[in-house]
Amino acid sequence: MESISKSIPKRDHFPKISGSAKYVDDLSFEGMLHGKIVRSTVACADIKEILIPDLPEGYFVIDKNDIPGINSVHIVDDDTPVFSDGTVNYVGEPILMVAGKDLKVVNRLMKLIKVVYDEKEPVLDMMKSETIFYQYGYTKGDWETAFREADKIIEEDFQTGYQEHTYMEVQGMIGFYENGKSIVRGSMQCPYYVHTAVKRAMGLESDKVQVIQEEMGGAFGGKEDYPSILGCQVAVAAYKTGKPVKVVFDRSEDIICSPKRHPAKMHYRAAIKNGKITGIDADIVYNCGAYTTLSPVVLQRGLICATGVYNFKNLRVRGKGVKTNTVPNGAFRGFGGPQTFFAIEMFMDHLAKEIGMDSLSLKESMVVKQGDDSATSGKYHFHIPFPEMIEKLDQMSDFRKKREAFRNQTGRYRSGIGLSLVYHGCGFTGSGERDLIKGVVKIVKNTDDTVELLTAGTDMGQGLKTAFAKIASDTLEIPLERIIVQNPDTDRVPNSGPTAASRSLMVVGKLLQRAAEKLKRDWKPGEYQEFVEKYVHPDFMIPWDLSKFQGDPYPDYSWSANAVEVKVDTLTATTEIVGAWGVYDVGTPIDMAIIKGQMQGGFLQAIGYGSMELLDVNDKGVIRNNSFSDYIIPTSMDVPHLETEVVENTYDNGPFGGKGAGELPAVGGAPAYVEAMENALGVNLHHTPFSQEDTMKVLEAFKK
Amino acid sequence: MVTFSNGYLVDNLADALKIRSEIDVTPYAGGTDLMVDAKEDAVYLFLNKIPELRRIYSDEQYLHIGAACTYTEIFENSLSPQILKDAIDYLAAPAIRNMGTAGGNICNASPKADTALIFYVADAKLRICNTSGERILPIEDFYVGRGKTVLQKDELLVEILVPKQGLEHYYYKKVGARQALAISRVAFAGIFTTENGIITRCAMAFGSVADTVLRFRDLEALFVGKSIAEAKSIRSQFIANYEQAIVPIRGRVSAEYRKSVCMNLLEDFLTQNGI
Repeated sequence: MESISKSIPKRDHFPKISGSAKYVDDLSFEGMLHGKIVRSTVACADIKEILIPDLPEGYFVIDKNDIPGINSVHIVDDDTPVFSDGTVNYVGEPILMVAGKDLKVVNRLMKLIKVVYDEKEPVLDMMKSETIFYQYGYTKGDWETAFREADKIIEEDFQTGYQEHTYMEVQGMIGFYENGKSIVRGSMQCPYYVHTAVKRAMGLESDKVQVIQEEMGGAFGGKEDYPSILGCQVAVAAYKTGKPVKVVFDRSEDIICSPKRHPAKMHYRAAIKNGKITGIDADIVYNCGAYTTLSPVVLQRGLICATGVYNFKNLRVRGKGVKTNTVPNGAFRGFGGPQTFFAIEMFMDHLAKEIGMDSLSLKESMVVKQGDDSATSGKYHFHIPFPEMIEKLDQMSDFRKKREAFRNQTGRYRSGIGLSLVYHGCGFTGSGERDLIKGVVKIVKNTDDTVELLTAGTDMGQGLKTAFAKIASDTLEIPLERIIVQNPDTDRVPNSGPTAASRSLMVVGKLLQRAAEKLKRDWKPGEYQEFVEKYVHPDFMIPWDLSKFQGDPYPDYSWSANAVEVKVDTLTATTEIVGAWGVYDVGTPIDMAIIKGQMQGGFLQAIGYGSMELLDVNDKGVIRNNSFSDYIIPTSMDVPHLETEVVENTYDNGPFGGKGAGELPAVGGAPAYVEAMENALGVNLHHTPFSQEDTMKVLEAFKK
Repeated sequence: MVTFSNGYLVDNLADALKIRSEIDVTPYAGGTDLMVDAKEDAVYLFLNKIPELRRIYSDEQYLHIGAACTYTEIFENSLSPQILKDAIDYLAAPAIRNMGTAGGNICNASPKADTALIFYVADAKLRICNTSGERILPIEDFYVGRGKTVLQKDELLVEILVPKQGLEHYYYKKVGARQALAISRVAFAGIFTTENGIITRCAMAFGSVADTVLRFRDLEALFVGKSIAEAKSIRSQFIANYEQAIVPIRGRVSAEYRKSVCMNLLEDFLTQNGI
């Protein structure tokens, strides 16, 4: 183990464990008002009329007419309104805000407001949508010939469901308007995203908008785009009322209106010739919901991952993101990857049966290695440690032996074991780092020889402050106590980009390391010094061309091999998870305990995605699973035996050899779980979440 | 007695019953259900400091469990039958078990109540008091429907009376959505006793299936007084009766799923008892 990997207490450990950390909900300011948002109760309508009661003194209604700038939230595109522009496109769409001193009075006023709708037929089924937001595709080799000359063509449909982030801290923001300046503070991953959005909605110049991140209790991607929407709303409310306005959701509101993982439907075809897979053709649909938010990039990543970790010579991948009258979906740990990885991993398992191989042997025979072309005709530039990872996983889980032993079982309990091989591309997709983000960091040495790291990177619990401090401390060879990392404030920090895409450590951490190296060379004791470092695109990369969907979408990838063992009770159709084992390559772990924590939490979340996390809209477009009694996530009791290991495979362009880690464990859990269920039940399965009821249907079908 | 802005805290049963007879109050034992959806204008009668409601003791025939005893207290008491401990062991999570009470579980009148199922199958009785006296009734007679009981505005549930004999040979299975903090989706409890090869009791209760816990004494009676071999010969008829009697409602899971689990567990219960 590298010395930097040795664990230290996380910087947010004591405040969060002791309860002294202050979150948005804990903050109060002089004269502060509480806001609640009136939301659409129907999925698709024109608003005919809004009936507002007489408001008591000091109570306000804030709507689209109060927006000084443009009624649009800039995310990737600009179609999301700050407040409804007269139409509503999903249940939960914000129409207006009620704000006032006493939250009880605000709640009472909310109930007196009547919105009169002219309802239209909503589109709830993604396959029936006629509005395509985004469409991409690519080919490699000669897929047409592969299919024309195939001995056999196998076709299957796969489906993945919603997933809710269930961060412990719900969405919350406070807006201020002081001396012509708009200030927004709150729970967010990306302060500069909020900054850009508020500027536009408020019609202000950059220096008249300030965004400050407060302590954050989890995000998982759910606070990448949504804070831009809520940030604009509180900014407008503060502008109208002249007072600070705080909005903190309750849990059901958060589940109803914040983004989720995109549900997907995926049609796969495989050409088989002489017992080999000669071509893959994938046709993918992601349900974006009512507005585009981050969908183009989510879909791009999904399509890049569509053929998994295998070297197929001939392929065609097509995909589209479509509009439905449902809550807009957005970023979620894995960002489009878990959907297609589920499909390809299950498909490989099924194809192995067709060919007459066991699935791991088939996967091993086709897995990519250094120097291979990628699906998008880029290159895998670095060592891919799958052989040693699979070996390690087999030692930990006894996979091969169990898989064989679990065939053809009878009796009340049926065991199964499944395995998945996945990656997560590190950094912003495509040419985003070079063309859009252009990250900048600043490092300041104070006269007392403490060093402050200034980036827009946010700590949401994933340990970024700790990791950044370790990188600077080890580079400068000064004690950790002299490194200062504060929550970002856009008045103080440069735009180092969003805290997303498993990029912070690899990209921003590397910039910090470079800046620290410069400071170290030029260190002047007792003097104030500052260094700015700008992103440099790695020159080894094959340029990404979005129009052709070709090139290197990422400089490097993190890899994982996952195994899950289950025991199914055929009387109750309940499944016990006997063990879960994960082996990960995240480059050099910058802190082993943080990495282990990320891997375990992510793996558990991914098993939840594969098994019990069921959320859907009814025929009116309403999410019924809007509480923790109805949206079931796994507890540690559900996977009591969860083992994770890392293999060290340093990435030279990352700080101390580190690369992306946070999202990787969320990718492979679902296919490993569902493959285990296949092994136990002896059937092919095609969807997540695979629930108790689904298991019962399979068992009942056997009886007949 | 201490008066709060939202209710009354009393330290003896007589005072509690007096308040109950005079004021419209919501009895509050552990609060683990009431607090989930707390009403702003509710007036509570806090019961957790009343010694008469906190005792567990036994007489010749019954184990008496005070209605405000917490799950943890019941679980840790050596007098408690194992079937009840099994149910508590799989109920919610430790924090809730430290606060929630058996009386609250019963009076909340949810068909999913984990301990109510056990009291049903165990032929438990409830001692209910008001200022003028008490009445004792079988738990089945306490429920009118989902969330509805015969408890009057001036009454309090004081004790649960669990028969001491005949609970040793039991079968219990709860199906939740996960391994902890799980609301029951289907729960089954069975008690089987024989004397000299003759079945004296074959009790079965089904939770989370209908508006109340289900138990069919008339169907159980088919086996009583018969030998195992005789019971075996009419097993299919016995099962068919239940197949007809159990009509689950759909909720978080489908009626079909609930039905399948009920029937599978019932059959397994019979099989394990040699029938």
